[in-house]
Amino acid sequence: MAALKILFKRYKLEMLMVLPLIIFILGFTLVPVLQCIYYSFQDPLTGAFPTLDNYRLIVGSRKFGDALKNTVLVTLIGLSLEMSVGMMVALLLTTKSRFRGIFRAITMIPMGVPTIVSGVIMLYIFSSNGYLNEFLYRIGVIKLPIDWAQGGLRTLFMVAIADMWKVTPLVIILLLSGLESIPSSIYEASAIDGATRFQNFFYITLPLIKPFFTIALIMRAIDAFRIFELPMVLAGRNTMFLGTYAYSEYFDYNNIHASGAASTILLLLIAAFVFGYIMMVGSREVEQ
Amino acid sequence: MKLRKEMGLIMAERKIDPKVLQRRINRVLKALFIAGTIFFILVPILLLFKISVSAPQDILTQHPPFLIKNFTWNHWKRVLAAGHIWVPLWKSVVVATSVALLGIMIAAPAAYVISRLPTGIKYGVLLAIFSTRMFPEVGIALPISVTFIQWGLVDTNFGLVLAHLIKVLPLMAWILTGTFDSIPKDLEQSALVDGCDKLQALVIVVLPLSLAGMAAASILCWLESWNEFTYAVYLCLADATLPLKTYYYVRRGNWFESAAYAVFLTIPVLIITFALQNYLKSDYLSGALKY
Repeated sequence: MAALKILFKRYKLEMLMVLPLIIFILGFTLVPVLQCIYYSFQDPLTGAFPTLDNYRLIVGSRKFGDALKNTVLVTLIGLSLEMSVGMMVALLLTTKSRFRGIFRAITMIPMGVPTIVSGVIMLYIFSSNGYLNEFLYRIGVIKLPIDWAQGGLRTLFMVAIADMWKVTPLVIILLLSGLESIPSSIYEASAIDGATRFQNFFYITLPLIKPFFTIALIMRAIDAFRIFELPMVLAGRNTMFLGTYAYSEYFDYNNIHASGAASTILLLLIAAFVFGYIMMVGSREVEQ
Repeated sequence: MKLRKEMGLIMAERKIDPKVLQRRINRVLKALFIAGTIFFILVPILLLFKISVSAPQDILTQHPPFLIKNFTWNHWKRVLAAGHIWVPLWKSVVVATSVALLGIMIAAPAAYVISRLPTGIKYGVLLAIFSTRMFPEVGIALPISVTFIQWGLVDTNFGLVLAHLIKVLPLMAWILTGTFDSIPKDLEQSALVDGCDKLQALVIVVLPLSLAGMAAASILCWLESWNEFTYAVYLCLADATLPLKTYYYVRRGNWFESAAYAVFLTIPVLIITFALQNYLKSDYLSGALKY
């Protein structure tokens, strides 16, 4: 006890400095999240706690089922597109060439475009009298315009591509810093041993940039699950995602309990993915 | 030199070495991929600008032309003359600036302390701060909106600033910890030996050295707030921020206004992003990777 007192006295300044941040994060992040979970277990009419009625209500509805499916699918499609294209561009950016500087600057441009604006732009491209349809019409692939926002897989692709346009630069930056951390002497050694390009990539590059890859993947997955602005702009009310579903339950039906339940399920989904991935990757490292 | 080149060509014509062929195909594929990427990145932005300066008959048609046919500044003039843009613009500027200033005041001292913690604890604290990113924003915004309605903070700038800080503070603490890590501990120690107290050592020694990092962090957070949409849509019912206003025009199906607003929204971000490109490369994100 006395030791604790001395500790407090000695580090009074440090405590004071760190306190505002801690209070803010507790009060404005942790408490709201708990509150949100609390709402989700609260009876909408009587206010009784806990009850599973809200979960029963939304899990039974088709709209929620679709939103869940769409969220998972768009994350899978978006992540595989972003990670593979991001990796290819990052690899290209490590090779020496005259145009590397300008190519790198161009790839970073979408980072300077607000997400809502990227949604607006994609709306012009994917609307039924938009530029993608016009392009396909001119090259003779289609006769009648395609309604990209009508739902189903094509809408998911539209949202995934819009998302990819905006966030791939972030993936590129992360992977590039990984690639640049690999000393070139390793490749020189493998060249002496006669390794092919594919062997270089799979046995040297990939294992060495794994931590960077993991961070990029986790950051992207979290944001992809929480996708909100792009569907709000692009998909309207036809194709819902978990984020827009929670929004619609609150604003259209004034049902904070259903909205809270949807958010809680989204939180569980993200946590399951992140911990699942870390456990999987971690255990594989242990095996090796 | 020239002779050798010609010799090489003749050799290649005579007998195409499969390895050389392979290399050439690779080079062509690479160039195609780069060209495709650049096309994919640039065309959307050019289209946005094009729509904001095209006459309606070029856009509201079944087959829009790809190039600007009938150029006009009319949409811009109308948007500026109608004056609906000034209120949201001012609101966005005020909120973003307050977020950046308040954010640095809260996050910088805390980041300094975190950076001076023993490595194991530091890693844990940073991971805990990072894990707040996993919480869905719609889940946080819902109770915040319910509470702010009770407190009368909906539609106020202060309420929105508080909400934006939720998003910005973890990021800021993250970046600034990296900044303070780069300042050697020995410098403060020698200041202490010379008779400064802790606070003096901080203000005289550490603060000037960290100014650049703090400036970069606050500008990045200004941008986060400028772009922010989710909390704004939950907390602004009557007076919108600029992103929200853009969204309203989109919902109304008004292409030209939304394009002009979108360009307006993008310009400061694009300029700052390029000015800060060096920071975006390393310091901004490497905080996540260094530990």
